[in-house]
Amino acid sequence: MNSEAQGQPVVLIDGLTRSFGTSTAVDGVSFSVNAGEIRGLCGHNGAGKSTVIKMLTGQLQPDSGTITVDGEIVRLRNPHAAQRAGIAVVDQELSVIPALNVAENLRLGDVSAGFFPGRGARGIQRQLLDDLGLADVRLDERVTDLNLGQRQLVEIARALSRNARLLILDEPTATLSDSEAQLVFRAIRRVAARGCAIIFVSHRLREVLELCDSVTVLRDARLVGTASSAELTVSQLIVQMLGEAPHRPARTAGAALDERSPLSVTDLRVPGSVSGFTLEAVPGVVYGIAGQVGSGASDVLRAIAGLHPGSRGAIGLAGSSLTRNDPTSRLGSGIMYVSNDRKGEGLFLEKTVGENLTSTRLPHLSRAGFVGLNRERQQRRLLAGLTGIPDARIGEAVSGFSGGNQQKVFIARTLDRPDARVLLIDEPTRGVDIGGRAAIHELLRSAAASGMIVIFASTELEELIELGDVILTMKDGHVVRRHDGDIRGDELMRDMTHDEDARR
Amino acid sequence: MTARQLVSPERIVVAIVVVVVVIVCATTPQFLTLNNTKAILASTSVVGMAALGLTFITIVGSVVSLATAQSMAVVAMVFLAAQSWGLVPAMLISLVVGVVIGGIQGLAVGYWSINPVVLTIVTAFALTGLATLVSGGTTVNASGDGFKGLNATPGGIPLSVFVFAALALASQIVLQFSIKGRQIYLVGENRLAATSAGLPVARVVVFAWAAFGLLSSVGAMFLAAFNTSATINVGGSLTFDAIAAVLTGGTSIAGGRGSAIRTVIGVLAISIISDVLLLRGFSTGAQIAVKGVLILVFVVVVQVRAGRVAR
Repeated sequence: MNSEAQGQPVVLIDGLTRSFGTSTAVDGVSFSVNAGEIRGLCGHNGAGKSTVIKMLTGQLQPDSGTITVDGEIVRLRNPHAAQRAGIAVVDQELSVIPALNVAENLRLGDVSAGFFPGRGARGIQRQLLDDLGLADVRLDERVTDLNLGQRQLVEIARALSRNARLLILDEPTATLSDSEAQLVFRAIRRVAARGCAIIFVSHRLREVLELCDSVTVLRDARLVGTASSAELTVSQLIVQMLGEAPHRPARTAGAALDERSPLSVTDLRVPGSVSGFTLEAVPGVVYGIAGQVGSGASDVLRAIAGLHPGSRGAIGLAGSSLTRNDPTSRLGSGIMYVSNDRKGEGLFLEKTVGENLTSTRLPHLSRAGFVGLNRERQQRRLLAGLTGIPDARIGEAVSGFSGGNQQKVFIARTLDRPDARVLLIDEPTRGVDIGGRAAIHELLRSAAASGMIVIFASTELEELIELGDVILTMKDGHVVRRHDGDIRGDELMRDMTHDEDARR
Repeated sequence: MTARQLVSPERIVVAIVVVVVVIVCATTPQFLTLNNTKAILASTSVVGMAALGLTFITIVGSVVSLATAQSMAVVAMVFLAAQSWGLVPAMLISLVVGVVIGGIQGLAVGYWSINPVVLTIVTAFALTGLATLVSGGTTVNASGDGFKGLNATPGGIPLSVFVFAALALASQIVLQFSIKGRQIYLVGENRLAATSAGLPVARVVVFAWAAFGLLSSVGAMFLAAFNTSATINVGGSLTFDAIAAVLTGGTSIAGGRGSAIRTVIGVLAISIISDVLLLRGFSTGAQIAVKGVLILVFVVVVQVRAGRVAR
């Protein structure tokens, strides 16, 4: 591709700024990446990483600041412009098409490719695969026949086939096993050795320090600094990412209300995601499960809600064992579940707010199989009142509401019902603004105070610390530690990202 | 409703079609006569009952049944063969057979998530084979004449029209006000969400298919009474007539929206179009072709709009 000497800045970002409404997502961030350098980009949720990457890949335009590639200022109006400027991106969502073969996948979305591939194209593709360590993968092999690591490499090969000068890898190993990840790392080093600049984003901090030459840290939309990996430890990196680490002294709120009717989960196992989860949860306390995507935190909640038919382990509520493992009987036992996928498996989006609010409690409002319209109307008003949605909007489709209001409607389905005993909620405030977030936390806390057992899962430190009385950290399917009383953000972070045990 | 919604392209198309049909109807000799109105209603009722049943499975998200004609033919054959036991026992047996045929398919769709299109194609074959085997491939004639009561015409209007109207009203009430009816809409709108909310998804699906079996078997009895004998082919084009009626009425093929009232409108619209073409002296081939094109326009307009709303 090129024989440029290492050490030249390939990409230079200067004073990049971008706001959304009143909040600034990226504020005057500047850094540069040299040819042949592998740069880690770290920051906690909301630090501005993904906004920087979207600006580099042409998905977002900066409000001010410049991006320079190979000494020339570029304007990346759209992803094609970024591709033409030599910037390629590979993210955690695999975008290779399993039904096509390797060569076809390599050609996908290439703006410079003609309709018919030239004769020379196959030779170039072969060379690319060989360079990435895929010498034993044939060009006409179906992608379905490759393992996840190999698919990720095909994706990287595709990015490189466009003469990339800068390769951005956004959480490329989130879904890979350890050996598959090693395969990807070897390939990344080879790509760098040929003079390509690389930006590597990952939540797995140990991985970042192992792979990268240097690490740039963002916090609260600003640049903290760039340091050589050799001079950093995981703990120092966490301190840089969190700054004044969120810390909560032991608090007295959230005292157990009723020790005699706990939810007891014993050695819960979900094949492929949870390897042993045990918890005795009592009414009045809010429990948080802290874990990154893939840690098993979500699956613990799903399994308790009866949504993992293959799960094993004992679940008991107030002394009686719940033997039937399906969502309808778990709901019948008083276990309410609020999914993290509000649109996919949460709300009935085209139905009205009112229809959604009462959708899961129709039998409560009915006599002889028919819904009592007056009781239904009253219940809808009452629940809308709890969420702060005006009566006049109860008849509007819920799809037209903001994320925060949608989430409130979703949660309100579980409130004010005498049969509710356990509330399981996954990512309580995903896609919710600050104001909505406080209101939702208040709803959950008052649910606990009224005698519900509340368990939530979250990836966000601030939320965990704000809301959780007791926090269990999870990584790779098992509980790392239980935190209560004095809770420190940096310790949670360490548990979630850095674990001495081998992965999976 | 905003002005933009009022003059949306879909509404303009629907309005133009309605105006054209009204003008054509009004200028067609004999269209506005009492006898012709009766004829339209009479031709509506049997396909209407099938379409009402289909409305339930379309709303619950099971798309359509491609075995409607065969299911109804089997019920019709049972009804005629059971006449020797008297009209009421024959009716009860027919209803049970209809509900069982629908219910079993509902179990397969509800509990094992079998694709309803594939399932109903298989069902159509199975019912054809079974009926041929049992009847020996011959025509089933009535074993009594109690069925003739169904051909009564109180006030000059066929009994089936009254029954259709009553069933349409009952269907609408069940869909709109009963727990199961409400849950049918929720399951059809988003089956994953219904599952994770703990709704009894499989039972709701079975209920919808059983309702289809019940409603279509009422239609099958009138079909049998009208023909006085039945083979497995007695259902004719009912399968597609029912689908056309449901879709023309605007019930969403994707599930989650629609109503019995819409289906009644769809059935009437198709009947009126057929009737006008007949009165204007079009050949049979031309009638079917024009009807097909008009239904296509309606369905595309209505379903495209529904799809846009869903997104």
